[in-house]
Amino acid sequence: MTKTASDLSGLALQPRSRRWRDLLREPVASICMLFIVFQLVCIVGALLFPEAFRYLSPQNVSLLQRAIPVIGVVALGVGLLMITGEYDLSVGSVYTLAGYSMAMLYTAGVSPVVALVLTLLIGIVIGIVNGIITVKTGIPSFIATMGSMLLVRGLVRWLSEMGSVSFRPGEAFASLFTGSVFGVEAAFIWFIVLALAAAVFLHRSKIGNHMYLVGGNERTARAVGIATDRVKIVAFALSGMAAAIAGVLSITRVGTATPAQGLGMELRAIAVCVIGGLFLSGGRGTVLGIVVGACILYMVEDVLLLLRAPGFYLDVFVGAILVIAVIANTALARRSAK
Amino acid sequence: MNAVATPLLELKGISKSYGHIEALTQADFDIRPNEVVGLLGDNGAGKSTLVKIMSGVEFPTSGKIFRDGKPATIRSRKDSERLGIETIYQDSALVGSASIMRNFFAGRELTKGPGLLDMQAMNAIVMDQLLNTVKIAGIDSPDILVETLSGGQRQAVAIARAVYFKTAMLLLDEPTSALSVRETDKLLAHLGELKADGVSAVFITHNLYHAYESCDRFVILSRGRVIRSLTREETTVRELNDIIVKN
Ligand SMILES: Nc1ncnc2c1ncn2[C@@H]1O[C@H](COP(=O)(O)OP(=O)(O)O)[C@@H](O)[C@H]1O
Ligand SMILES: [Mg+2]
Repeated sequence: MTKTASDLSGLALQPRSRRWRDLLREPVASICMLFIVFQLVCIVGALLFPEAFRYLSPQNVSLLQRAIPVIGVVALGVGLLMITGEYDLSVGSVYTLAGYSMAMLYTAGVSPVVALVLTLLIGIVIGIVNGIITVKTGIPSFIATMGSMLLVRGLVRWLSEMGSVSFRPGEAFASLFTGSVFGVEAAFIWFIVLALAAAVFLHRSKIGNHMYLVGGNERTARAVGIATDRVKIVAFALSGMAAAIAGVLSITRVGTATPAQGLGMELRAIAVCVIGGLFLSGGRGTVLGIVVGACILYMVEDVLLLLRAPGFYLDVFVGAILVIAVIANTALARRSAK
Repeated sequence: MNAVATPLLELKGISKSYGHIEALTQADFDIRPNEVVGLLGDNGAGKSTLVKIMSGVEFPTSGKIFRDGKPATIRSRKDSERLGIETIYQDSALVGSASIMRNFFAGRELTKGPGLLDMQAMNAIVMDQLLNTVKIAGIDSPDILVETLSGGQRQAVAIARAVYFKTAMLLLDEPTSALSVRETDKLLAHLGELKADGVSAVFITHNLYHAYESCDRFVILSRGRVIRSLTREETTVRELNDIIVKN
């Protein structure tokens, strides 16, 4: 059976006009529109003032492509978990730990590929533990994962005092994450591949469907026979794994692990998701939204840096976008729920 | 049909306590082929608890359950589904933030190839069921979010789902409490059609006129005990009312 574009958008069986109207009502539509407008303004600006505004300079384009995937991949995991109605504050610590794990295993003589597998396993195990604690004890995940955030951060501090932690793998492994294909950075390609995988998983798999239902209304999901605890634990595991993947992407590029790398990343990832149209209450959101959210967050920071705005503007702008995004998404949801 | 036909589902001596609260005490209950049973009683009588036990949401402290005369255990929603039991709660049967289709197939998704959802097939089935089984107007897409539907439309979706999945017994716990008068009429009509299709039902309502209109038999609970079981021919609305009020 062939898959048509309308089938993939999930809006088959509708008259055309209706389809567009519904599409525009999706929270993700407004953020995509904002993204496109913003992108056009930046491109026009860069073409008009190539010297003053170096948005399209090869350095900047490549910088964006390397910076977006790190937060983007973390946000994919955090977003997937947010859709089931839970949070993971430990992702920043797991991200940093992943860098240490890669560097230390490699220094100890483990091959980079095995180190990669073990590092992802560490992320998955931390995620599973977070999940089990949350669903079995009923402690809000916000608190449970705050605990593991501090615990893992402490572990990283301890590791950081044991000596040098650099990761300089051979050409073959490094180019897997730092090379480029036709000017597109490998990290960005990984991000897109992972985003596509996440999209298929969330929007087109059985368990993905269960994640939306659990996040939308856990009691009902359980009543129709969905194993809600298992679904949540899987989401926690994927969140931990995503953070570990981001850590690997980062250490392969930077080469040295430092304990402060992932600080604040958990909140930035939640911000990305919210900008992308996910609801803090769970049950709603798209992978496309997360991807666009990550792009917007970084582009705004990048543009401010290019314009040489003082540092504090970064936070002010990101904060403003976040609040505006929440207001817009809530208003859209309320309008369509009428 | 004769009076001694084996019940579809029979509960014997069911007790259920929540800590020191005894929600059900030695309750006997049965659902026979092709009948609508009205489960009546004041608030806190134990009606919802009985429904939860039959749908696998709660497990009885003691008592036995038989399906077609054979012993059965209902420990989960999956068990009750296997026995052909489907429950419609007043509004918790569907997830508001998800689409009609995703609710319709919740937990029973159709897949193809390497476990991917078969969206086309599921969309087609949902539209067919909505248009031809419950015949609701105004729903032209399976992608509409359930939270945008009216209470009656939601019940219709839940009923269409029960019909599609070949439910033998439909349990409705106060299904009309959130419905308008017209929607309630429609729901009662659906109950009649379902019975014609061979689906038995348990109907909980506080409106004795609705109960009298649509049920063949009435089981009255009071403080966790079954105090009476009467067929429609044996009783009147007034008598039902008296029994409930006086106990
Ligand atoms: N989860 C629960 N925990 C404690 N007590 C409960 C619980 N569910 C029901 N009960 C108690 O059991 C009794 C019967 O409740 P219920 O079956 O909901 O009655 P009904 O549906 O007839 O109004 C009530 O006293 C109620 O407070
Ligand atoms: Mg009740």
